[in-house]
Amino acid sequence: MRYVLLLLSALLLLSCSPKEPLYNTQTYVFGTLVDISIYGETDAHAQSAANAIINHYNKLHQRLHAWQPSEISKINDAFSVGKSSSIKADVAQMIQQMTTLSTQSHGAFNPAIGHLINTWGFQSDAFLAKHVNAAKIQQLVAKNPQMIDIVIENNNIRSNNPAVKLDLGGYAKGYALDLGLQTLREHHVQHALINIGGNIVALGQHGDRPWRVGIQHPRQPNAIASIALPSGWAIGTSGDYQRFFDLDGKRYCHLINPSTGYPAQHTQSVTVMIPPQQNAGVLSDVASKPIFLAPKNKRLAAAKSMNIERFLIIGSEGKLQISQQMQAYIDWTNPKQSVEVVAID
Amino acid sequence: MTKLIGKPLLGDWLVIIASIITIIFLFKTLWSNEAASQLKIRQGDTVIGSYDLNQTRELHIHGPLGDSHISIEQGKVRFKQSPCHNQYCVHQGWLSRAGQVAICLPNQVSLQLIGEKKPYDSLNY
Repeated sequence: MRYVLLLLSALLLLSCSPKEPLYNTQTYVFGTLVDISIYGETDAHAQSAANAIINHYNKLHQRLHAWQPSEISKINDAFSVGKSSSIKADVAQMIQQMTTLSTQSHGAFNPAIGHLINTWGFQSDAFLAKHVNAAKIQQLVAKNPQMIDIVIENNNIRSNNPAVKLDLGGYAKGYALDLGLQTLREHHVQHALINIGGNIVALGQHGDRPWRVGIQHPRQPNAIASIALPSGWAIGTSGDYQRFFDLDGKRYCHLINPSTGYPAQHTQSVTVMIPPQQNAGVLSDVASKPIFLAPKNKRLAAAKSMNIERFLIIGSEGKLQISQQMQAYIDWTNPKQSVEVVAID
Repeated sequence: MTKLIGKPLLGDWLVIIASIITIIFLFKTLWSNEAASQLKIRQGDTVIGSYDLNQTRELHIHGPLGDSHISIEQGKVRFKQSPCHNQYCVHQGWLSRAGQVAICLPNQVSLQLIGEKKPYDSLNY
């Protein structure tokens, strides 16, 4: 009997084992939720690293804001009247990187379509359901604003096309992930997870297991799957369920096809996983967009053009398509649901 | 000293075995369903509090747009009313399982359901 009692008291002791060294903070920047977890540091050290990241983010958000006075709005004002404007070195680098990625995506990722995004009402905190003027959309598409219209010379920027209006909404969160990772390293943090509105980067791991990330179901308030995210990897989702409005039984989301001028309506979400590299965060944000916008039969080609091997696509009827390379990382919430696994060469 | 604990009799063993079976049964039913027991409410960067989900309670959380009205009802919770324009949070409906999250981005209020174990560290939404 005394052994049973011993066993019971051992179990009781186990249940009051010391608190896990996990620090977590959440805040709102870039119009979305920023969630930072840091493992294995003292609370004070973790907090100072997290605060440094959040300070960077608040500054970046102000500088890059698409519809409030910012460095970007100043550049856009100059573009619209054919003038040149001064530009800071880091913003110039961002624009060069966006131009490269835009070309790589054959224009599907196009941060120059600020006028279209504004016309659809997505440059606002509240997205009002509205009938757009079809003629106006057509006119904006015909003006063909592209990143290659932009010229940067000697800390000055101008556009050869006055219709170019920058909107970094599909890029800034990814850039911020890369910046966050750098800040963590400067603070000698070895294990952390940063989530900016569905774009996530992992550093190290959570104790003796990898960081685990849930993938939101586009139509239900729970995760459709979870993924073990190895150190240095990033993951990003583009969905039609965070910024959208419904009108006449149709959903209009914030992901607008630059070649038609209309929101994509054949995709619910696209998730991409990016292996460790210099711009993993940026790619996790940018690379899902061309796949989201591509017609159903061109999605694989779009993934290939962005060098994406690991992706999960949820189509308009909720149909799941996953690449063979991503299948190895995923745990479905409901293992019985039907999933099409596609091979990528 | 009198021996308080003697050699276990048949009845003792039966009680012990029955308890172990009950515990295994409870683990299997409760853990695999991942029913949530706790609710964590955040506003902005502050944790407003953790609440027992097994109660009936109405909460008003003040955010930048006004008050978000949250209903806890015996194991489930929802945004009942919200001052936000899109009402995405209200349309999320009832949450009851561990790991479920509802966020009202405009009013910066989030509901997170917590169970015995956490299914993931962060949600890619």
